[in-house]
Amino acid sequence: MFRFLIRRTLGAAVILLIISAIVFVLFYAAPRDPARIACGKVCTPETLALVKKNLGINHPLPVQYWDWLKGLFVGRDYAAFGNCKAPCLGYSFQNREPVLSTIMDRFPLTISLAIGSSVVFLVFGIGTGMLAAVKQGKTLDKIASSASLIASSMQIYVIGVFATYLLVDQMHWLDRANYTPFTDNPAKWAQGLLVPWLVLSLIFTANYTRMTRSQMVETLSEDYVRTARAKGLSRRTVFFRFAWRGAMGPIVTIFGLDLGTLLGGAIITESTFSLQGLGMLSVKAVSTNDLPMLLGVVMVAAAAIVVFNIIVDSVYALIDPRVRLA
Amino acid sequence: MSTPFLSVRDLKVHFSTEDGIVKAVDGLSFDVEKGKTLGIVGESGSGKSVTNMAILGLHDPRNTKLDGEILLDGKELITASERELEQLRGNKMSMIFQDALASLSPYHTIGAQIAETYRKHTGTSKKEARARAIEMLRRVGIPQPDMRVDDYPHQFSGGMRQRAMIAMALVCDPELLIADEPTTALDVTVQAQIMDLLKDLQQEFGTAIIFITHDLGVIADIADDVLVMYGGRCVEKGTKKEVLRTPEHPYTLGLLGSMPSLEGPVDVPLSPIPGSPPSLLNPPSGCCFHPRCTFAEKVSGGLCSTAQPALEITDGRGAACHLTPEQKGDLFADYATARTN
Amino acid sequence: MSLSRRNFVIATSVAAAGSTLLSACSSGDSGGGSGSPSDGATAYTGAKVTVGTKEDSTGPAPEIAGAKKGGTIYGLAPDDFSHLDPQRIYYAYNSTVALLLHRCLTSYKIDSSGKQKLVGDLATDTGTASADNKTWTFTLKEGLKWEDGSELTVEDVRHGIERSWASFITEGANYAQSALTGKGGKWREGYEGPYKGKHLDSIVTDKAKRTITFKLAESKPDFNFTLAMHSYAAVSPKLDTKEKYDKKPAACGPYKIKAHTTDKSMVLIRNKNWDPATDSIRNAYPDTFEFDFGIETLDSVDRLIADQGKDQYAVSIYKGVPAERIQKVLTDPALKKRSFNGLLTGVYYYAINTKRVTDLKVRQALNHAWPLQQIRQIYGGPSAGDFATSIMSPDLIGYKKYDAYGKLTKPQGDPAKSKALLKEAGKLGMKVVYAYPQDPTYDKTKVVIENALKAAGFTPIIKPVDSTSYYDQIQQIDNSYDVMWFGWSPDWPTAYTVVQPLFDGGAIGNGMNNISQTDISWINDGIKKNAVVADQAKAGAAWSALDERIMKEVAPIIPETFSRRYYVFGSKVGGAQFDPNFSATLLYKTFVKA
Repeated sequence: MFRFLIRRTLGAAVILLIISAIVFVLFYAAPRDPARIACGKVCTPETLALVKKNLGINHPLPVQYWDWLKGLFVGRDYAAFGNCKAPCLGYSFQNREPVLSTIMDRFPLTISLAIGSSVVFLVFGIGTGMLAAVKQGKTLDKIASSASLIASSMQIYVIGVFATYLLVDQMHWLDRANYTPFTDNPAKWAQGLLVPWLVLSLIFTANYTRMTRSQMVETLSEDYVRTARAKGLSRRTVFFRFAWRGAMGPIVTIFGLDLGTLLGGAIITESTFSLQGLGMLSVKAVSTNDLPMLLGVVMVAAAAIVVFNIIVDSVYALIDPRVRLA
Repeated sequence: MSTPFLSVRDLKVHFSTEDGIVKAVDGLSFDVEKGKTLGIVGESGSGKSVTNMAILGLHDPRNTKLDGEILLDGKELITASERELEQLRGNKMSMIFQDALASLSPYHTIGAQIAETYRKHTGTSKKEARARAIEMLRRVGIPQPDMRVDDYPHQFSGGMRQRAMIAMALVCDPELLIADEPTTALDVTVQAQIMDLLKDLQQEFGTAIIFITHDLGVIADIADDVLVMYGGRCVEKGTKKEVLRTPEHPYTLGLLGSMPSLEGPVDVPLSPIPGSPPSLLNPPSGCCFHPRCTFAEKVSGGLCSTAQPALEITDGRGAACHLTPEQKGDLFADYATARTN
Repeated sequence: MSLSRRNFVIATSVAAAGSTLLSACSSGDSGGGSGSPSDGATAYTGAKVTVGTKEDSTGPAPEIAGAKKGGTIYGLAPDDFSHLDPQRIYYAYNSTVALLLHRCLTSYKIDSSGKQKLVGDLATDTGTASADNKTWTFTLKEGLKWEDGSELTVEDVRHGIERSWASFITEGANYAQSALTGKGGKWREGYEGPYKGKHLDSIVTDKAKRTITFKLAESKPDFNFTLAMHSYAAVSPKLDTKEKYDKKPAACGPYKIKAHTTDKSMVLIRNKNWDPATDSIRNAYPDTFEFDFGIETLDSVDRLIADQGKDQYAVSIYKGVPAERIQKVLTDPALKKRSFNGLLTGVYYYAINTKRVTDLKVRQALNHAWPLQQIRQIYGGPSAGDFATSIMSPDLIGYKKYDAYGKLTKPQGDPAKSKALLKEAGKLGMKVVYAYPQDPTYDKTKVVIENALKAAGFTPIIKPVDSTSYYDQIQQIDNSYDVMWFGWSPDWPTAYTVVQPLFDGGAIGNGMNNISQTDISWINDGIKKNAVVADQAKAGAAWSALDERIMKEVAPIIPETFSRRYYVFGSKVGGAQFDPNFSATLLYKTFVKA
């Protein structure tokens, strides 16, 4: 397991490096000049040159990339901002705030959104899937499957606005979606994020329902389940001890990847509820051509996905003893 | 004759499918005595596995209809509740399967799976159950059982796995063991070992064994009595000697004839039974074997295609065939000689 | 004279882009026909902007009926202000908070009807100009203080302007710098800013007399308007923290920054050292302003509509009501009471490349053909704005409404007239290449434009251009477009800032804004002449005459829309009104209703 982790971590580092290089190239390949955008309304050639110098983009592309890498590992000196300690992700072109601290600032919200909605869609998705598997073919199965499919076909920005209108404006059951740090007030934290959790989980639930249901049905038809029944184990024992184990593998895999994606920011949900997480940060970085911020967010999101990939593979090995970690 | 431990009377297993009712087993009766082995022979689709599953009550009640009577040591099984069946399974009656790798849970150690059965039926502690599991592994001849008890099924070889499954099936000292083609997937030497093991265990514990196979060589080895199934019915029954030496049904004859023989010339072509197994949805009229039977036209009045031959058992011997004993004596003898030459 | 200024209405800033991308809304607006202003808008009655007197410049500002001191007003906005350093402020949305914190020599005094006067803010009046309008002198009021109690002197005014030469300041306006140096776009040459102790010879201060004199290289009769821009606000050298000033500047206005968490929130509290007697413009009723950033536009307007809890005391700082909610605001009488609207300062139009479309009759035919009503329908109907028929917009001094091509009577276009003109010119069926920035709204308007051009006897070729490089492309003088979507808004309300950059022959070049490439001697001369008229009212009249003549005799553009923006505010907010200069909520007039 140890060798496996070492190897995968190194691989992850290489992947992240490649991603950062690709983002750099793509950014500059796009027709928008970040200096122009940061330059403001009046952009004479002289002003543009000054802006480029201030932003640090008056060097050729490889030099800029090298500077960025250097900053990541040993820190970097900026004319306008002084020394930036490692890991230095630079300063936003748009508002000259340090990228790393801005991202870290937004991260708790994104984590909260990710975890909260994960709990919801895992509970509902897997629960509904298990129910459907047990009552296979019966009405409950059909209802559960259809309901989750309808739910996942809904659009967040429609349901979100409607949910807010209904639950907040009309019935006053909840406050408007807002973020209170968990450490400040756990109750308020949960209350403020409840609607976003429910709405965000909608698009995932169907997947888990379907997957759980089909995995369990498939597992229930395996030979070893027949053996277990032949040994005299009750239906319930068989269901929970065996069928569950068989379904876990794929569910854990998909969940790991979903969680990795969620940690990169849930753009539509954040936008619908005016929650300032990594998603909104990435949108703003793109629209304002803010290279350092864009790079920072992309790296964080990519790292989350890569890390969770590794975690998922490791967990899979724990679940299924037949899997040998390559 | 002691009372049979297992008594099956006129068992019918019908599956309701989208295309109609499939009569997988249609009126099967047999007995099994303690300390004896009943070998059930037949091709795929003959209903052998279905019968076993019916005995254990493992069919899906939503689409299966069971009729008839199954008495296990006096207890009727078809009408028994699920709870009662659970008490009996793995305890009084056990089953071992063909593919041990698929039939054992990949997620649990062998020891855990054996112990699980033991604990379910005796309620002992984990420690005791584990000790019992080690003992069982030793008994079935697995070396270093105290180490191997913590291995997973995929870490065992094919033969060891089958032994482990036998260990699991016998951990509660069942009085009936159903073996569903346990050696089909194993090579000949391992096969022989397993069969010896089963014979030893039977001798030691007096277990009644039902051994299902399509391999007559295995039957010759292990069975006391033989039941030949075709199309969901019994077509011939008797002791091993009777059935194998003097078959009374064209199908049995065909089976014997289609076996390659170790003696005899090597360049004699195999003579398989022509045709394919019957549809259980729409069985042939009359005798369900008649489309493939070489002797069908010998029967006067074309009975084979119109009337179902009755299975008449005398002293445990009988066959369901319209041919008269005289006809059989003539026709079958030719074949028998042809085979031994 | 090549002043490459860019006053795009569609700026590439996040805020401005969001607000000016008029999204399509088929809300079943019932016609509305001609360009009459929609409900709630006051028809322009002329002379909206004038120059005020010394008395107008003397504080305090007139009281607002019913207003009381105290309470907190909340502001909602999707984004934080990108710059708080006045020399780095150019985008309108930053100016909304600058009005509370910073003061310039001159500024605009706005009454409740939206009429405004240029008055002295730090200065006692709107300044004295020499006969040739090259030398401007201002006297500073007494009693001006910074938030720390230190005195605000003429040297602070000078410092604010001089520091725009510093290398870290690249975002502000350029007008004053060009005028002071006479070097046009190269005004940075020869001076590096005040931080090493060097000062500009062209700015003379007399601390004792409290005067500051500007010696311009060119005649600028409207220089006092230029100085009203926040880019020329005062900064104290002692309180100047350079780059850090952008996040926490020192205030001399009625409020100062108590706390500012970037991209999250800002709290302003009273600046006790601001003396209302020195300020004829601003009221300061609320004790505190609390701004929340990161509230998406649709969400913030829904909150204001719902009017719950604290939102009853809230306003949208600079984001208007989006198209999805306009109908609701217009049709709900209770909501309408809690709303105001106004016209944006600029004009959307289509520039005709006169080097390619050389025949006047063809350009006039284009004007006749253009389907203003159908376009406006896509923008959202009459509430989206008024039909534009001139280069100058209603907020400019001297604006006169005229309709050279019958657009107000036939806003749907007059294909017959157009065809007739084309026939006369012998150009029936002429190909015309129309370029626009790719965007969901303009992808829709191009359809009605294409249909109208076809009906009017043209063969339209539609060329959507990637929006991020649109301006670069159309500002190439050898581009291959005949008609190009465009927009322009003035930096202060005199027509010079519109007519010169758009129609002066000297403003033709790559990256410049005379994209119709109009170079006609009587226009160039007219611009030069009007630029030096001292009296703004007279200048305004001259400009509007020039405007009309350009449109009638040259027709280098097809004017389209004067956009309208709506705002909703909480039920307990009083005094909220439209800021005609920055098209936002005028914060310093708000008060908390009991």
